[in-house]
Amino acid sequence: MTSTASGQVRRYLPAQRLIHWVGVGSFLILLFSGLALLFPPLAFLAAGGLSRLIHRLAVAPFILLPVLYAVLLPHQAKELLLESFTYTRDDLAWFKHMPAYVLGRTKGLPPQGRINAGQKIHHASTFLMFVTVAASGFVLWFGVGRLGPDGHALTAMIHDLSVLGLSVLMIGHVYFTFLYDALSGMVTGFVTEQYARMEHLKWFEALAAPVAVAAAPASTTETPAEAGPAEPPQP
Amino acid sequence: MATRYAFSLDLDRCIGCQACVVACQAGNELPAGDRFIVVSDIVRGQAPDFWGSFAHQRCFHCGEAPCVAVCPTGTLSKWNGLTVVEPEKCSACGYCTDACPFDVPHIIQNGVSKCTACLGLRGQVVPVPDTQVAQTLKDGHIPWCVQTCPSQALRFGDRETLLTEAKGRVAALQARYPKAQVYGETQLGGLGLLMVLLDEPSVYGLPVDPKPPLAQTLWQEAVQPVSLGLSALAAGLMGAMFFVARRQHALEKAELHAAAADAPAAAPPSAAETVEGKHD
Repeated sequence: MTSTASGQVRRYLPAQRLIHWVGVGSFLILLFSGLALLFPPLAFLAAGGLSRLIHRLAVAPFILLPVLYAVLLPHQAKELLLESFTYTRDDLAWFKHMPAYVLGRTKGLPPQGRINAGQKIHHASTFLMFVTVAASGFVLWFGVGRLGPDGHALTAMIHDLSVLGLSVLMIGHVYFTFLYDALSGMVTGFVTEQYARMEHLKWFEALAAPVAVAAAPASTTETPAEAGPAEPPQP
Repeated sequence: MATRYAFSLDLDRCIGCQACVVACQAGNELPAGDRFIVVSDIVRGQAPDFWGSFAHQRCFHCGEAPCVAVCPTGTLSKWNGLTVVEPEKCSACGYCTDACPFDVPHIIQNGVSKCTACLGLRGQVVPVPDTQVAQTLKDGHIPWCVQTCPSQALRFGDRETLLTEAKGRVAALQARYPKAQVYGETQLGGLGLLMVLLDEPSVYGLPVDPKPPLAQTLWQEAVQPVSLGLSALAAGLMGAMFFVARRQHALEKAELHAAAADAPAAAPPSAAETVEGKHD
């Protein structure tokens, strides 16, 4: 039990935040140094191999992200991986409400666990495209001159499309973060209780359960079937 | 109308002496081990009944050059029919080495290395377009390989003139070599190196109909612009949606506050408590 400001819920450990920001930094550097070969106004960055050097230096932290996660937080890494590829009825129901959620409405959302259905899709796609972007990148790096016209173009297409996918995911990720004021989770590690209730009710209740033990088992049964976020469980 | 310059190479006249290779290396001050021209022997059959010729591997200065199309920095470009290099722009990405159907450009000392028709020494800028270079050509610029060739197999000049000459040579040669032909008239927008062959192109290791690879066109004409476009569209769309969604979210939060105030029976959210997240 960490005692800080009231109404705050711990969401991410320091190591998770570290890994997140290393990922953000290395991805953005890779994105913009890579754009030098795609977007003519940035071509000057490529002259003399500057952007290539930057791109290859940034590969190291990027490629080490899963290793870092597995070493620092093996348990959480495994859980994140499993959770991201496991979908329940609540997740399907969540997708039905997604249009409203995208436009700022959480009312009527089925209760979600630590990561909601959209985040599961986000993480799962990120895992897959991390693999394709890294694999195609290494083929382009070490295979240059030996790939032939078709091999080179196909590998480059896989690389570009993976980056397209990752960029769109990142844009959506940033969008939801700022829409629902969730940035603090990755800065201080804490989110507001209101946010936790609105978006991750199942997770929040699981967290609150040990605290609520004294207040009778009623607290769990009291959870409204509709899961309206307006109903706080008994503390 | 700019002149379209080209080389021509008559393989009936070539004696395989390698003088062009050496003159090119010396004249262009190429670093040791680098060369723009490779001449190799072709021998078919067995003595006493055999036939020999020479295969030249060197830049064809393609009219529609795949290396120029693939180059992301503008290092390679077309200038009056020639495929020229601006070395200071090169990132040594090596895309051209994979795109070329003739396996010509290579990366040496962190930069692309290929024939520029002696329009600039390695390491110097080839200004494109540049009136001085244009004047040089008008004054009868002759690349080193052409100057050196002892058997007049190599020529340099106006492509139309060279093509007419080459066709005349082929017509004369066909009496002895029925399969003699001009290589490069139409391939890839017309090659900037016209070869007088004595036999099928395949005998010389040349593709009959080299094409810019379909995958490369798809990648550059579709995948790249679509990737950039969709990313920008996603960013723009979400940026615009954000303001709408933020207002909705603020309204919802206000509703929640109102509901909480209207329901004094429900206990207020845990006051002085922070919940430790479970991460397992």
